Amino acid sequence: MFITGAVYIRHYRKAMSGSVIQEKVAKLLSRQSGKPVLRPIKPLALKNEVASRKLKKGEATCVTEMSLLMACWKQNDFNNTVCSKEVSVFYTCVEKAQNKAKAKQGTQGRLLPKEANTLLKRFPNQSSEI
Amino acid sequence: MAASVRHLLKPWTPSLCLMRWSRYNPYYLDPDPSKDARVPESELSPEEKELQELKTVSPIKAALSSDTSSAFNDPLISKFINMMMHDGNKILARGIMTQTLETIKRKQVEKYHKSPAAKREEIECNPYTVFHQALENCKPIIGLASVQKGGKSYQVPVPLTDNRRRFLAMKWLITECRDNKHRRTHMYEKLSQELLAAFTNEGNVVKRKHDLHKMAEANRAYAHYRWW
Repeated sequence: MFITGAVYIRHYRKAMSGSVIQEKVAKLLSRQSGKPVLRPIKPLALKNEVASRKLKKGEATCVTEMSLLMACWKQNDFNNTVCSKEVSVFYTCVEKAQNKAKAKQGTQGRLLPKEANTLLKRFPNQSSEI
Repeated sequence: MAASVRHLLKPWTPSLCLMRWSRYNPYYLDPDPSKDARVPESELSPEEKELQELKTVSPIKAALSSDTSSAFNDPLISKFINMMMHDGNKILARGIMTQTLETIKRKQVEKYHKSPAAKREEIECNPYTVFHQALENCKPIIGLASVQKGGKSYQVPVPLTDNRRRFLAMKWLITECRDNKHRRTHMYEKLSQELLAAFTNEGNVVKRKHDLHKMAEANRAYAHYRWW
């Protein structure tokens, strides 16, 4: 059967990867050549959980619009009808910032740690063969 | 022994009755009870057409028993009634709301008939528009959030979401009417007074909103302590 180059390599890697890893681990744990490199306390197996990421601290959004609005307020004795333009500008800025924050959360290619954990709970790693 | 065996022989009935949950998967759409609001296909923009198609395909949350398809169903007023409700006494809360609207209408109509012809057009007699406008006038634009920095907590001016603003306006109205008025007046009377004052940007609730704005303005130096 004619197999294309890339598929053939993937096939080869898939067949080899499991046993290659096991051999390497066995070598690291073995006491044959002096002291073992690894001395694991817990079993060397993946958990059904992903560590949660540190929340990146952003900056305050819409500060300039807020300061303009407050300046208008100070001049006009907190009258909202006179400052209606600044108010609408502030609202549009806030909405844009909210949309941006929402859109930014889920993208960048990776799964969020929460989503990954939910998936792993439903489809956990097989610790033993069925 | 006999009692436990009898318990096993009884037919099984669910001990919980099914209510509408508030936790749904995000793809569930809200029910739209209005039946006359169907616009013909030609007048819809492409985004609205997409929305309509989505409604035919995606699942919809169960409708609340307070959602009606009548012309008098107003979501803002329903929300206000729910906030006024105490111990689940919806009948009393609804009664107070209807009495409030009636009182507003009576006062405005009286004002209308007493005023000269030139000023009559400015007087708003529709109690629903009075309510909506009064609530708009009570909504704060910027709120304060407590942020801890360097061991000390600061009041930081923060933009509020629409839901939060609506909630604050309604909460202020209700607490103002409950606490700061004469105890012998009925709730509907107190509410109508406060709503009519808020309609013209006067009264204690609007004053409270202005106080919040002033505090935010005084603390504008701490605006950079926010990280969202």
